[in-house]
Amino acid sequence: MTPTEGLKPESGLAAEIEVEAYRLLFPLQYYERHLAESVRPDSRALGRARDTTIALGPVTSADGSALVKIGDTTMLAAIKLEVMTPCIGSPDEGSVAVDFQMPPICSPVVRPGRLAELAPVIAKQLSDVIMSSGMLNLKELSLISGKAAWMAYLDIYCLNADGSLFDAALLSATAAFSHLQIPLVSLNDDGKVITVSEELKIKAVEPINKENRKLTIAIVPFSLTCIVHGKYILADPTSEEESVMDTHVTVVLDSKERLVSLYKAGGAILLHASVVKDCIALARLRVEELSEILRESLSAMEVD
Amino acid sequence: MRNDKSLLRTNEKDIKAERAPEISEMATGTSGTYSPSQCLERKQQEQKRKTFQEVDWARSDGRNFHQCRPAFLRTGAASVASGSAYAEFGSTKVIVSVFGPRESKKAMMYSDVGRLNCHVSYTTFSTPIRGQGSDNKEYSSLLHKALEGAIRLKTFPKTTVDIFALVLESGGGDLPVIISCASLAIADAGIMMYDLVSAVSLSCIGKKLVIDPTSEEEAWQDGSLMITYMPSRNEVTQFTLTGEWSTPKINEAMELCLDACSKLADILRLCLKENALELAP
Repeated sequence: MTPTEGLKPESGLAAEIEVEAYRLLFPLQYYERHLAESVRPDSRALGRARDTTIALGPVTSADGSALVKIGDTTMLAAIKLEVMTPCIGSPDEGSVAVDFQMPPICSPVVRPGRLAELAPVIAKQLSDVIMSSGMLNLKELSLISGKAAWMAYLDIYCLNADGSLFDAALLSATAAFSHLQIPLVSLNDDGKVITVSEELKIKAVEPINKENRKLTIAIVPFSLTCIVHGKYILADPTSEEESVMDTHVTVVLDSKERLVSLYKAGGAILLHASVVKDCIALARLRVEELSEILRESLSAMEVD
Repeated sequence: MRNDKSLLRTNEKDIKAERAPEISEMATGTSGTYSPSQCLERKQQEQKRKTFQEVDWARSDGRNFHQCRPAFLRTGAASVASGSAYAEFGSTKVIVSVFGPRESKKAMMYSDVGRLNCHVSYTTFSTPIRGQGSDNKEYSSLLHKALEGAIRLKTFPKTTVDIFALVLESGGGDLPVIISCASLAIADAGIMMYDLVSAVSLSCIGKKLVIDPTSEEEAWQDGSLMITYMPSRNEVTQFTLTGEWSTPKINEAMELCLDACSKLADILRLCLKENALELAP
């Protein structure tokens, strides 16, 4: 018996319950019926991403932070700067440590004490993309050549996991770096770097990095995750869609529309080059959207 | 009643500031980084100590001593959870998600009352110095004890309700905020309770009683008191006292706290009502 036959539309509450039960019992058929009409259950077009918002500076105890929401997926990224001795091979460079965590609040499958399976995968992907995209110039993180440099600890926490985790995480990381404000520091008598606070100004201590307070971010990487099912490509899937269709493709483009990274891992469907080209075309549209949103939120911060 | 725990804690914090670079080396392993704000000059610390020992000092955020911080509360922060809440008290920001009632782990024995599983964790950037949040591992069991008395466990036998809290930014008075936010999240999830639980803490600095302390005031406190209260039933679910207190002082402190708890419970109720109005068609 095919579940798609014999369904008569009823009105009112009974119909709602039937639709919900159908959605839970036969998810693939539920989605296929929607895809045949080129629409998704949340009435999006197949190539459209969900509403994205960026809020800069929600965490005041960190040097730079950003909260990103793509639909219901919520990511909080924050950067804390600490001082380290640079390694001998590159005395003029600072360093960045990227960590992605999924605490138990974000999803019903994550249990405290046991790490989510997805977390280290996304952490490694993020770290690769951030370092290889040329977004950061590590020389800007240097304080005193050979003696002291900044180590930027970037921690990204997933607060609500509803699909497209990598996209939201990358966007929050770039937003946090754009928001980062390097604190004024100077050397104290022991040769250690300390922050210059209001009280210490009385001692006429000279800050050693007066000019360099914000990082220059030349190239910004943006990403789009798509899932593929049959001949349909769905952009920015929710977690429900991701669980039903398992072939993901993640495309990362930079603001000059060059390809930074392409990731397609396993899945039941093998992709033709034409499908990959379509995904990249969708990603290009998304890059324009996202760079506009990021620019708006940065200029809103400047007015403040 | 004399409890030296609080005196020990203040001394610990002094030692921490001095030994800080070594601790962060241990924490980060081979790389040995330190935060520039750790190396506060000795003079600054002496200055701070003097301010708190004066007779008349003003609180840094302009409140008077018996005024709590303004609260921002929102339910439904996490859509994947059965119920969730976000609370912001000054600069303390906490998000709590409730999952359940769901299946207990197979290893657990049969129980004809429901079970509660609480877990509190800190983000690495929640404290001014990275990674200090992991010092508060006892908060998970304190949260459990505070909520146990308020939830009607008999209504969900054989299953477990998971309560997870994440502290996004720690600005002082963390545990009371976590408890209040958790009771809001549990109400949002539709789990039956006897009453909403609200919690307020109070610090004793010198001779002054300071309600709802910030982390700076907490660091210099001589004693602290935290009460978790169910206002409509006039019942206290948890009472924590540290430091040296005289009986009349405890009475005064308790009255202040209970009054603040009732007001906070009203605010929690208002938040739930507003949320219900938003969702209603």
